[in-house]
Amino acid sequence: MSNITYASINDDILKSLEPPGKAWLASFLVIITALGMGIFAFAYQIRHGLEGSGINNPIGWGVYITNFVFWVGIAHAGTLISAVLYLVRAPFRTSIYRASEAMTVFSVMTAGLFPLIHIGRVWNFYWLIPYPNQRLLWVNFKSPLLWDVFAVNTYMSVSIAFFLLGLIPDFASVRDDSKGLKRLIYALPSLGFRGTNHQWLHYMRAYLLFAAICTPLVFSVHSIVSWDFAMGSIPGWHTTIFPPYFVAGAIFSGCAMVLTIMIPMRFIFRGFDEIIKIKDLEGMAKMIIFTGIVVSYAYASEFFIAYYSGAKYEKALFWYRPFGELKLFFWGMIFCNVISPIPLWSKKIRTNIPALFVISILVNIGMWLERFNIVVTSLAHDFDPYAWANYKFQWVEIYITIGSFGWFLMWFFLFVKIMPSLAVAELKEALNPPLRSAK
Amino acid sequence: MSKEFSGVWATFEYLDDTCNSIKELRKEGYRQLTTHTPCPRHEIDHALGNPQSSIPWFTLFGMFCGSTLAVVIMVFMTLDWVLPVSGKPVISVPSMGPIFFELSVICAIWITLFGTVGLILKDTFGTPRPTSKRYKGYDRFMRDRFGVVVPCSEHDYEKVEAIMNRYQAEEVHREA
Repeated sequence: MSNITYASINDDILKSLEPPGKAWLASFLVIITALGMGIFAFAYQIRHGLEGSGINNPIGWGVYITNFVFWVGIAHAGTLISAVLYLVRAPFRTSIYRASEAMTVFSVMTAGLFPLIHIGRVWNFYWLIPYPNQRLLWVNFKSPLLWDVFAVNTYMSVSIAFFLLGLIPDFASVRDDSKGLKRLIYALPSLGFRGTNHQWLHYMRAYLLFAAICTPLVFSVHSIVSWDFAMGSIPGWHTTIFPPYFVAGAIFSGCAMVLTIMIPMRFIFRGFDEIIKIKDLEGMAKMIIFTGIVVSYAYASEFFIAYYSGAKYEKALFWYRPFGELKLFFWGMIFCNVISPIPLWSKKIRTNIPALFVISILVNIGMWLERFNIVVTSLAHDFDPYAWANYKFQWVEIYITIGSFGWFLMWFFLFVKIMPSLAVAELKEALNPPLRSAK
Repeated sequence: MSKEFSGVWATFEYLDDTCNSIKELRKEGYRQLTTHTPCPRHEIDHALGNPQSSIPWFTLFGMFCGSTLAVVIMVFMTLDWVLPVSGKPVISVPSMGPIFFELSVICAIWITLFGTVGLILKDTFGTPRPTSKRYKGYDRFMRDRFGVVVPCSEHDYEKVEAIMNRYQAEEVHREA
């Protein structure tokens, strides 16, 4: 720890911007292949319509909406880490927040694709936007679906702004460390930043305001996403617990994704292991424990309310989830989200990197399954037994889901080679400053 | 670029030396100081007398713009195409909450960002700074060195240099 200095932080982080090696290129090829699969399947869907997905009547929302909610959830951790943990001055935030913010931006970009993919006739996407059209008809401002359009766009826009603001001083560090064309390229986004008192003053005040404004946004976005469901009358959806349940679930999955991304980064880039310390990862593991408990409580509460309310449709649905045709998804969710985080209660496991990595992946899988359970099982088993149906996965939606991971990872891989993936200035700020009196 | 500049600038390895020199310079009446630090440091703010930023006004302005825009579009569009549902009010204030909030946030954030970029650019191009190659090419301010720039007349060069040297500045340069 003591051998970390302002200069060594600069050197270690800026080293990650060196030209990519063979491992990076090979991984990128795999990612591009995954993205290609998604693009191919989407092109097929444009040509043939939604018959390529498992969507049917009554299950009108399937894998695409599941993916949408999943990716919005992943995005949550970034803003939580950059805004909420900044306001409460959590010490484990500094080393991981830049990559988490990037993760937020790229996951919202991924999430934003799914409503477009889901609507089938993607060329009519602009009907979601309030604009003066030839039918003189405006959008319905009382619909939670429209609130969601505003919420997700605001979230994406704000995440990008927050991300860009944080990058200004770090671009200046890269500029000062480079020569020739590279220096010129980084000089433009660094806005002539040279760390003057005036520049830091405005920058820090803006950063604080961003954090303060983004904090309620962390809670509002997934609450609004949850209203897409909770304001419907379908059993399993129409419940007041959804907003806190969704927010906790989002933070749970987002923290897990942060670990899934940060652990390999720490391993790949030399010097990052000194900056991203075990206790930082442990901090994320503790967040997973806490939000995992909230999520488990929400699962239990849903079942209890279904029983205690006496509502027969609710009871039927909550019997169907663990024992119906889609029971594997339910039990998979319980294993991944309720049981797999339990070992994290032990400090030995929390500080064991391979164990953390495995648990983070299980939680990610579990949270996808949770969204699938919410979206699909409720629609599969609503009020009228005549309308009940099962959901069968089709290759198009599977390819598009794989493609979404390719899309997300493509941006992330480009990010680690183009931008400082750890926050240079904030890491320096967290260090003890060089003092003659301390010599 | 920067206006014509006359003064002295120095670099320091240690934060406490930098703060002490700033305090003494301010005591001697040099108030228009510019400092350079690799990261934000509150010690420098305290030494400079805790200056305040005008950024919050941009945020407040943005928030008012966003909230006004939200109310205007929702009321106008709802009245332009009346869609009564189950006897509920056509203009329903509770249902305006989410869009009111989201548009307030989005406008506040973007106007704050543009304000910040504008103020940073104003400082970059509007504040008088040394114009020499040595100053412009000095690339350790964002890395690991602290700097103090003092605008002053020729007569004060020696006095300012003496203060910088007293606090063990690494380099001290005159700029005429």
